[in-house]
Amino acid sequence: MSLRETIAAIVVAAGLFATGCGTSSTDAAASSESGANIDGRKYLLSHEPEGAVGVIRARQMAGDDDELVVVGRIGGGVAPWIEGRAAFVLVDPSSGITADEACDEECNCHSDELADATAVIKFVDAQGKVLAVDARRLLGVKELEMIVVKGRAKRDESGNLSVLASGIYVRR
Amino acid sequence: MLRLRLLPWEYGVRNLFRRPTRSALTLAGLTTVVLLVFIVVAVIRGLEASLAVSGDPNVVLVYGMNAGTDIENSAIPARTAALLSASVENVDHRFGVTFVSPELYIGSRIETADRGSPALGIVRGVTTTAPLLRKQVEIVDGKWPGPGEIAVGRLVAAKLGCSPEELATGSSVKFDGREWKVSGRFSASGAAFESEIWCNLPDLQQALKRQDYSLVAVGVKDPKSAADVVMFAKEQKSLELQAVRETDYYASLQKHYQPVRMLGWIVVGLVAGAGVFAGLNTMYGAVVGRVRELSTLQAVGFRRRSIVVSLIQEGALLSIAGSLVAAAIALVFVNGTAVRFTMGAFALKVDSMGILVGCGTGALLGVLGAMPPSIKALRYSIVEGLKAV
Repeated sequence: MSLRETIAAIVVAAGLFATGCGTSSTDAAASSESGANIDGRKYLLSHEPEGAVGVIRARQMAGDDDELVVVGRIGGGVAPWIEGRAAFVLVDPSSGITADEACDEECNCHSDELADATAVIKFVDAQGKVLAVDARRLLGVKELEMIVVKGRAKRDESGNLSVLASGIYVRR
Repeated sequence: MLRLRLLPWEYGVRNLFRRPTRSALTLAGLTTVVLLVFIVVAVIRGLEASLAVSGDPNVVLVYGMNAGTDIENSAIPARTAALLSASVENVDHRFGVTFVSPELYIGSRIETADRGSPALGIVRGVTTTAPLLRKQVEIVDGKWPGPGEIAVGRLVAAKLGCSPEELATGSSVKFDGREWKVSGRFSASGAAFESEIWCNLPDLQQALKRQDYSLVAVGVKDPKSAADVVMFAKEQKSLELQAVRETDYYASLQKHYQPVRMLGWIVVGLVAGAGVFAGLNTMYGAVVGRVRELSTLQAVGFRRRSIVVSLIQEGALLSIAGSLVAAAIALVFVNGTAVRFTMGAFALKVDSMGILVGCGTGALLGVLGAMPPSIKALRYSIVEGLKAV
């Protein structure tokens, strides 16, 4: 067998194996975030709004659609953020349940306490839809920051509280 | 002057056939080593592939916050499915069907007709919405399960350690105090569902005396809409839910098996290392016995480097041949073989990556194994070499 014939045989055999077993995958190209052009500055308040109450108090007193000013810390679990949405979990300032604690959403050590001390803050557009941009990017906020949020309360039958926010003040 | 005059290519090839027994033994040794590499890589790739194809970016799993990553331990209220359908935007909806699939997912002791002792299997109670979300699932034999019936995945027999005949369509199995008739078999393109038993959700709830679900799988219109389901779970604190993209869920399981994969690659390294030493040993024997021949080649004018190249060529030819034989054996006998593991079963996968690693290791064995003995043999002076017996 000549050198050329041997190399050809090896290449053909290897090619047959490789093509016979190959699988291909294509990564879908990431599209740009639909809310990327939203200016977050219009939601940032220059002064702290008055009459802020903690999350626990807000859950007790706020009715559906009530105007509300609520104060709290961004936290309540290891992942307080909702990826790709201008929304996050706010926890009462008096609560020790924050993102830096070992307890995360996979344990139930504080689950009852957690349910009573947290609310979901959602920044919405004129149609009331949650903005499709990550809150960290839109507002420049971070975990554990103490914030004051102004907005409208949204209650459901189970007593869960969401705040459709129109403004945010970050205590720094 | 600078051009190296190589020995004819045919010289190396003919040499292999001149000592057929030794060449055959070396070939067998190399084939075994490369086959071991193929098997280990097939285990790693099979496990990876099984978990990788199980997730759909348009599906979000909603289950109990307290269950961690173990859905078997999850219990969520039955009203979760209706709440998800009513409250979450961008849930897929076609032909009047909302893509929300409530499921009960449990580990149970399954008893087949021919087996005395039951074996641990995975059972998923589903509705007819489930195949809309798990698009890989395809009935390959029989029909969708009716009341009191089950459909078994392609790898369930491997998971239970029984013969596929015991789970043939029409046969019966026992679990959770009831007898279930096998209505059909399904495949799922290698996904984890293939090691599961599917039955009607109300039947399983009745057998287990449970009203709740383990999870609700939600189909969304595009991967970005998964955030809406996550937001729902965070809002419904009273239900204690967590929502995870199905792809992320299986990626977290892959992370769980990271040590196993690492161990697998270490075994590949060790097997390859052992193969190099075995190759070195064989090639030392082969080359040292040919000192006179090699000295004669030098005497007739071939340079040492040319002779080393020819010896490496022999080693490389043998190892590549061994690799191809091993690849053929792996494709025929190893590829697709079902293996049991904690979460179910998966099929060994000899794919292009496996072929590349196996054949690459094989080729490297031949080249590395032939180099040191060739260099050593050529350290003899020509006169000493010609006198050697």
